[in-house]
Amino acid sequence: MCVIAAARAQIFLLLVTVGCAHADRATKRPAEVLTISAFSVVREAYDGALLPAFSHWYEKRTGRPVRVEASYGASGSQSRAVVEGFEADVVVLSMPDDVDRLRRAGLITHDYEAAPYHGLVSHSIVAFAVRPGNPKGIHDWVDLTRSDVEVLTANPSTSGGAIWNVAALYGAAQREPAKTQFGDDPSEALARVLSRVEIMDRSGRDSVQTFERGMGDVVVTYENEIVVGQRAGRQYVQVTPHSTLRIDNPAALVDVYADEHGRRELAELFLQYLRSPAAQRIFARSGLRPADPDIAAETDVARPPVADLFTMDDLGGFSKLKEKLLSPQGAYSRALEKVVARR
Amino acid sequence: MTELASRPRHTRRIGALRLGVRSMVVAYLGAFVLLPLSAVLKVGFSKGLWGFAQAILTPDAIAALWLTLQTSLAMAAINALLGTWIAYALARVNFPGRTLVNALIDLPFAIPTLVTGVMLVVLFGPQSSFGLWFGEHGVRIMYARPGIVLALLFVTLPFVVRTVQPVLYEMDIANEEAAITLGASPFLAFRKVTLPGLWPAIRTGTLLSFSRALGEFGSVVIVSGNIPRRTLTAAVLIYGEIESGRPEAAAAVSAVLLAVAFMSIVLVENFQRGGLPRELA
Repeated sequence: MCVIAAARAQIFLLLVTVGCAHADRATKRPAEVLTISAFSVVREAYDGALLPAFSHWYEKRTGRPVRVEASYGASGSQSRAVVEGFEADVVVLSMPDDVDRLRRAGLITHDYEAAPYHGLVSHSIVAFAVRPGNPKGIHDWVDLTRSDVEVLTANPSTSGGAIWNVAALYGAAQREPAKTQFGDDPSEALARVLSRVEIMDRSGRDSVQTFERGMGDVVVTYENEIVVGQRAGRQYVQVTPHSTLRIDNPAALVDVYADEHGRRELAELFLQYLRSPAAQRIFARSGLRPADPDIAAETDVARPPVADLFTMDDLGGFSKLKEKLLSPQGAYSRALEKVVARR
Repeated sequence: MTELASRPRHTRRIGALRLGVRSMVVAYLGAFVLLPLSAVLKVGFSKGLWGFAQAILTPDAIAALWLTLQTSLAMAAINALLGTWIAYALARVNFPGRTLVNALIDLPFAIPTLVTGVMLVVLFGPQSSFGLWFGEHGVRIMYARPGIVLALLFVTLPFVVRTVQPVLYEMDIANEEAAITLGASPFLAFRKVTLPGLWPAIRTGTLLSFSRALGEFGSVVIVSGNIPRRTLTAAVLIYGEIESGRPEAAAAVSAVLLAVAFMSIVLVENFQRGGLPRELA
């Protein structure tokens, strides 16, 4: 168990997996190489299914063998590593802001949001996992403020994923029914939930693992983490709050590095493949929600419906939200102050 | 005559050798210690003195530094006591399995500290049998201060033991035996005869473990719960600042940790100089 936990943990900035590095030596033609930098949650989907399928598809289409070198890690760390000189041709990240960092650094020069689905390749939603049978009767955000409920969520300063959690609560508190339940100040909603948080793990996955070890009554995390856990035999149950936030996972070509390596065509084909029905179905199988609405319609049958799904755009876009929520004067800091004051 | 004539050349050669050794050491330390450390300082002060002050004077940073200092000091005190005790037992007391215990001492260094954290949570977490028992008595170990101290103790265990143990081996046991023969109790003999000779080693070992504990991250991030102003240590705060894209704030807090470690070393070494033979001081 320790070993698994250690292996799954995401402290290493770069866990570079050079998949099938030697297998291609035997073929006559040297394989083309594509380097991608991705957030760790998609690792199973990519290494297990998507990358082999892409290699097959690419070779059939162009007659050339290809080898994808993938590095996985926390989305923010991955994005920063690329800025610092990890020369990835394509990035697959868990937050549009992490791609924007590359644009600000001048590494991405095109408008990646002009690509299909606004540059996104998959989605998820912010959801809760509770104990089997939901003994505490947790159904919506307001239940997370009850004094008999202990809440787990990752720390927004160390985990990009936790920013989605906080943003989901912040957004939900501005919509009915939570708006009536919490009152007009969304930072009050944050304060009341945060006062029920005893453990703020470093990452979303750590948070789920702490829950798996028996701590807490509910963990706020991404739906795909819950699906992956359930598939691995964990007994927790997903609860989807009435209003919740859609999580967006963008993918983009890194112009500077792709051109430097002469891999633009290959990288564009990879991105095209990520949006193909085959790849979208692989995402769906790994617990994510497809970006392609047709594939989503066909695979969402197995997913709990969301009564009121809102997006980052509904909150005014990420940069505006960051200012209102996460800046030193933002709602999150104000909520923390309230928690400390009431402690 | 010939002997005398060859002497200066000989000395010159030794001088050259010393110079070579010295410049190698300086170059090595410069490249691998001084350079990274000065980079930390440079980034920490990149937003000026005011930026530095702002980064370390937030309530979160003050609380985190204070918590780190307190838990590291608590750990150092326990480690000084238990480490000396273990070293004494290993060096002087014959008990079955001594070789095995001796080999076990170094293992905490070999285990990734992350695994240490997970192991402690499994053992002492609120859901474990230990944790439940303590919980019934109103004591919370994990996700509270005792958990942090426990993790630090585990991670730094070898420091005191391994600095004190060789001194005990070197020390003549006859003195202690003589004291006992003259009527001193074994404890009095230890306190009056053996312990004075051990002080420098205990101080050095404790200091090493203290400095190491200040920056401990891997195990603490798992066991502490990371609630700002309550269980968030400086190392975890630094990690958060880096992840949130504020490297200058991270470096500023790191600089404070460095200063604390540096000052404690200077203080203790000064204090110690009297007690050590000149060539060791």
